[in-house]
Amino acid sequence: MAITNLPKTPKIHRIPQPKFIDAIRWLSSPSPFQKSFITSLYDSDFHTPSLEIHSLDPSKTLTTALFSWTPPSRISSLKSTPSLFAASTFLGSLHIFKTPEEMSVLGNDMSDLGSKTSDMEPVVSVVGREFHVGSVGGVDLMEGGSECVSVGEDGRVNLVDERGDFRRVFDGNGLVSYSAVKWASPSEFVTGGCGFGLQWWDLRKSGAAVAQFKGNWDHGTTSGIIHSIDIHPSRKHTCLAGGSSGTVFAWDLRRQQEPMILSSIGSSDTMTHPLSESEVWEVQYDCYTKSLNSNISSSRILPAMISSEDGILAVIGQGEEPTELLAEPCAINSFDIDCQNPSDVICSLEWESIVILSRP
Amino acid sequence: MPDVAADSAASASGGALVPFVPDTEIAVVYPLHHGLKPPITRVSISWARGNNLRVSLLRNPPYNSDSDGEIGGKVVEVNLDSGAADVRESVQWRRIAYGSVTPFALLQSRKNSASSLSKLQSSPSPFHLDWWEHVMEYSKDIKELLGNPKSNYDPLIEDPKEVLKKGEEPTSLKAAWELMEMFYADKLCQSWLPERLVDWLADYDCLLSGDQPTVHSKLVEFQGTLVTLQVIEDDPKYWEVISSALAIGWLEIVVKLLRLHGSYQLDQLGHRETENGLVETVAVLISMMPRFRPELKNGKLGECFEAKPDFMKAWEKWREQITKLDSSAFWVPCHHRQTREGLKNLIQIMLGNTKILCTATAHWIELYISHFLFIRPFTAGLEGMYNLAQKCVQMKPMSSPHKLLRLIIGIIGENTEVVLAECSRGFGPWMVAHAIELLTARSDQADILLHKEHDDIGGISMEELHRLVYAQVLTSHFLTWQIAPVYLTSCMKQGMSLLEFLLYRQPAQHNQLLLKNLEICRLYELDHVSSNIMKVYEILKRILDFIYQMNTPSLVSLSSANSLPVAFVDSET
Repeated sequence: MAITNLPKTPKIHRIPQPKFIDAIRWLSSPSPFQKSFITSLYDSDFHTPSLEIHSLDPSKTLTTALFSWTPPSRISSLKSTPSLFAASTFLGSLHIFKTPEEMSVLGNDMSDLGSKTSDMEPVVSVVGREFHVGSVGGVDLMEGGSECVSVGEDGRVNLVDERGDFRRVFDGNGLVSYSAVKWASPSEFVTGGCGFGLQWWDLRKSGAAVAQFKGNWDHGTTSGIIHSIDIHPSRKHTCLAGGSSGTVFAWDLRRQQEPMILSSIGSSDTMTHPLSESEVWEVQYDCYTKSLNSNISSSRILPAMISSEDGILAVIGQGEEPTELLAEPCAINSFDIDCQNPSDVICSLEWESIVILSRP
Repeated sequence: MPDVAADSAASASGGALVPFVPDTEIAVVYPLHHGLKPPITRVSISWARGNNLRVSLLRNPPYNSDSDGEIGGKVVEVNLDSGAADVRESVQWRRIAYGSVTPFALLQSRKNSASSLSKLQSSPSPFHLDWWEHVMEYSKDIKELLGNPKSNYDPLIEDPKEVLKKGEEPTSLKAAWELMEMFYADKLCQSWLPERLVDWLADYDCLLSGDQPTVHSKLVEFQGTLVTLQVIEDDPKYWEVISSALAIGWLEIVVKLLRLHGSYQLDQLGHRETENGLVETVAVLISMMPRFRPELKNGKLGECFEAKPDFMKAWEKWREQITKLDSSAFWVPCHHRQTREGLKNLIQIMLGNTKILCTATAHWIELYISHFLFIRPFTAGLEGMYNLAQKCVQMKPMSSPHKLLRLIIGIIGENTEVVLAECSRGFGPWMVAHAIELLTARSDQADILLHKEHDDIGGISMEELHRLVYAQVLTSHFLTWQIAPVYLTSCMKQGMSLLEFLLYRQPAQHNQLLLKNLEICRLYELDHVSSNIMKVYEILKRILDFIYQMNTPSLVSLSSANSLPVAFVDSET
């Protein structure tokens, strides 16, 4: 057996935590040796949520949090850009923070940090029944932009600006509910929710979504909820979505009726058995994995990373055998690929631990 | 004849069959942090998960809905546990619970495939591992989880005065697990069990020094005074500590301590030559002690012999050398009294003088170990070990024996029920549920006992009972309840029905939790349960949507506690 072509296995660091991790994101950092990430935690002994920024040195040991903030309830969604990060809660509030780099703290002398935890305060907080009622399903910050979009289980779609004012884009009055959102361009974004539904919104055309996709392959016995959406900056017409029953598919605006299924239980046309049969909690395009196929047409789906309830972290490509990076005995609830150094992936596990993968 | 004393005790406890003595007479006050504006008109209290009370506090519905921005009520959970003292412990406990799932599930699936294979094949395949080897693999995984072996860090410059090496703090849970492993699962160490116990005590002696001193605690104490001692060999403590360490076989510590003797110092070597020669001879003899075992860990002293005849030959020779030294003429010119007496004492220990061994050791288990080392190195079989233990307990009685010592007595007494009871009493449901696999690894008798179905507990076996108890503990915490199905599904009789019951009772205050519940239904093919859960959730969702649309302010804002999001007050409009 020739084993020379086998890919090298990634380095895996497991860091047990004393608290449940709701979500985790990398933060951009000025130095490649001093990485930092933001994580939303839930202390089950005291029923207290917290939002913490940790720094990670090359030995991958965690010390006390650099910054910490106590949100009004548990965090339902967390997104970060190089300058800002946003967190939404189960009680329907949204909080936007400047990253430490932006606050020019990390750039300064770090020696006094790390030994004790400093408090941080959101630059924008939107609270109240006028904003969202019930849990906020998803938020997204525009890269380099100033607006944050939030969607909720109440069926509302809101835009929050940097001053903390918000405007309603749509109100579903509880008849629909949204669980994921992603910006496609400064005026367009995509939302996802029940029934594998995706909606394409254009802020220049108000009132309703400009395009809708209704999934029709759910079998009645299982739920069909979109949990995560990603859009590649170079392919803004295609939206990648992951949800229930191990479903991962791409929806191309130019071919709205033909979703490209990358993995699913029900589909017989995919060549391999589904990677996962349970909830796919997160999907992200993986710019680190190069597609084996040299055909780089714009209709081709780029490699994507997924994490699932049954503990799989894997990279799938169109028409390619998926690569499993992790197979855990518990759910991988969220993960993030470092945009500065895409070989590094950080994951949060159901069993109160963080896993950091450094791919060769 | 009814005892008078018992009678008066019964009347004092108000005629109760089992007298109940509450721990404390003082009422405990649990503060409620609800942050609601008074007045609060309704309070409802119910049990939540585990030792938690769920308290729902409701305010009067405000008549002018828009002006009052206050929420209409709150649900808070109150933990009735002793408090924050054991938070670190509970984190550690959850880590063990998470980590033991995979080894347990793997062993169960191997057990299932082995039993289906044995039905197909009449003769066991030569390529198959024996069952106890699978159990040992499982035990190794669990042990790793309970704490890593002492970190063998070697400082570049060794401190000559550091006698006891600091390592990871051992836990009694791991100590108990190792006991169970060596007696019940590990087939390889059966021929040298006494030496295995010597190793065990070396790792865990420090755990026993709670109410009574141990050799370990004596050593720690002496280590503290070591730096200030000028002439070490004049201190009677020095000789006492050395003989104690020798009695329980900590040879490397004995040799290290002996070489701190003043006669080794260059300026004294000249006029204390004979004395130094004696000290060194004893040290060399100690380091050459024959051990009836296949191997020794790095840094441990002694010479290993696996075959009994070889060991006996070496043992006789070693004893001969000691006797020769004892009667040597060199003792006369040794003028340092303490050294002479101290070394003679060590020689008596090596010759197996019962009286001196008894004074050198503190706990009965230490005395027991010293018997194995110096008096009865050929002890084999549990019966002999049990009789010896009885003798040692008589010589060193204890008022309240440590839970580990009670477990040892149960094990060498060959009483499976006592062992189970001690595991459960001292180490909790996790230990019993997982250690049963060790108990049944090689013993058919324990296997029959644990798998016999008992009518008085609903027709389930002891094994199933203990797994159910552990599953019950897991369900009491919202982070560990997802593990409970793994244990419940390994229970043939009651497991599945309890799993259904558990799934119906799971709160689902947001989609993610609901989906995790449904995933468990899918894994165990409980389609009817999942459709019922979805129906319930659908109805709840509609009620909530209705409230959202009506914009009724009486909606109760939820705490982050585990509760269904359906507490609301009837609006009077």
